[in-house]
Amino acid sequence: MGKKAMIIVCILVAASLPLYAGPYFLSVFNTIFVYMSLSLTWDMMLRTGQLSYGTAGLFGLGAYSSALLVAKAGVHPLLSIVLGGLFAGVVAFLLGFAVLRLRKIYFSITTLALTSVFAVVIRNLPRLTGGASGMVLPSALFSGDAAKNYWMVFALALGVIGISLWLSRSKTHYAINAIRNDEIAARSSGVDVFKYLLFMFVLTSSIQGVIGAFYAQQYAFVQPEATFSMNFLLLPLAMALVGGVYSTSGPVVGAVVLGVVSEYLKLIMPYGHLVVYGLIIVLVVLFMPRGLTRFVARQLARRGRVGGADRAALGN
Amino acid sequence: MQTVPLLETRNLERRFGGLLAVKELSFSVGRGEILGIIGPNGAGKTTVINLVAGIIPPTGGQILFKGQRVDHLPAHARSHLGIARTFQNVRPLEDFTALENIMVGALFGRGQNLAQARATALEICELIDLPHYDRPVDNLTVLDLKKVEIGRALAAQPDLLFLDELMAGLNADETREMIAVVRQLQRREITIVVVEHIMAVVKELTERCIVLDGGTIIAQGSYAEVAANERVIEAYLGKEA
Repeated sequence: MGKKAMIIVCILVAASLPLYAGPYFLSVFNTIFVYMSLSLTWDMMLRTGQLSYGTAGLFGLGAYSSALLVAKAGVHPLLSIVLGGLFAGVVAFLLGFAVLRLRKIYFSITTLALTSVFAVVIRNLPRLTGGASGMVLPSALFSGDAAKNYWMVFALALGVIGISLWLSRSKTHYAINAIRNDEIAARSSGVDVFKYLLFMFVLTSSIQGVIGAFYAQQYAFVQPEATFSMNFLLLPLAMALVGGVYSTSGPVVGAVVLGVVSEYLKLIMPYGHLVVYGLIIVLVVLFMPRGLTRFVARQLARRGRVGGADRAALGN
Repeated sequence: MQTVPLLETRNLERRFGGLLAVKELSFSVGRGEILGIIGPNGAGKTTVINLVAGIIPPTGGQILFKGQRVDHLPAHARSHLGIARTFQNVRPLEDFTALENIMVGALFGRGQNLAQARATALEICELIDLPHYDRPVDNLTVLDLKKVEIGRALAAQPDLLFLDELMAGLNADETREMIAVVRQLQRREITIVVVEHIMAVVKELTERCIVLDGGTIIAQGSYAEVAANERVIEAYLGKEA
């Protein structure tokens, strides 16, 4: 079966899941698509060479702004999801002028600190945000219809995959790869480094905001601890590392594999599944440092079945 | 009417803490000229390139390109204006093939789209004789990496090209091949500044050269003139006891 045919089958199976799967499976895959989208955005930013720890922060900002728009201004939940993404994008644009002057670990730590700052500010505005106990919305998105929510998050994930694929075929791909490889060589070749970093930071933050907003509307609930949870940073990061960074296929495969493994482990060992889960991540990163997708592609290439698959995986 | 030089520096200065790496440096390069900048190690040659290309800001003086002040502009803006450079220690973009490396110059130095950049890069590969352009750069020889450097700079279609110690690390045969490549560029009427440590290369390629020592010009003129200059001999060989 060709690669294209396989992708089409995967999309059809995923799209038709609500027709034959029960609410448990829908909820598992709903969560997987949330993390897959976040993982792709984290990876897209990493392609510039900047390791962002701000994923949970922008996710939370999108969630809170959407929840507030619905609860306080009576905005339609679907519109609030768009506006949540816009808000996260505007915040990223303004912060970008400060944080994108930093590089490497300084950028990472600052984005991590910003996540804490967002959570602290929201916790300290109890009249507006409900403070530490959070806010419950009058109704969940699509009145909590599991199938509709699933299709919504599936569509969002497909959109993010589309953006990631477009990016890897665009002029921007050359700019951000050049910046990651050698910033001085990039600047000397005419790459406006700050412009491209800002574009990528705003793009990825907006998507994180949209996903956060969807998450808030789906569960009709926001609360600082839960909404700014480090899970929204660490799980996407682990998924991209396990699947393979600097690619679209890596975070997608990583999200599905880790998502399914984590659910399975929860079922067979309710206590201690996180230890095994962590161990799997460590082992994959240690023994397949370029990720699952490139490892498999290389094994296939070695058997002579797929030529140049490793480079193809790199490009996709 | 007097013609404006393509590049002119006026009392250029760069200080690194207590070290004055470049001081009161004034020189100009005319259109179509091939200028050599020579000098012993630590003379400030690479610093001059970094200053003109905008990698580091000057601490004093002015840089004029096509008659306009450019010393306040970031590196990428100077690239857009037509200043390109290669690096003494090659800086290939490692996740790219040789061709993609060269495309970067065309995409961002000249603002071409992907199809145009690819066509430009292929044309350049032919010009500089780089047959292995589809290989990842980590599979290339030093000579080919140097060619990728030139190719990337050339793809921006610059008016002024700085070649920073292009021959460093090359053997005699490779040096000859590289000199042939630079001669190809001469035919394209690109203004070139050859920054070299090796005097013989400068003799071979340039019409005029300036000699730097301690960040300032100690001699200038034709190769024959500077090679006979006592201060130059002293700078290279040391003072006789």
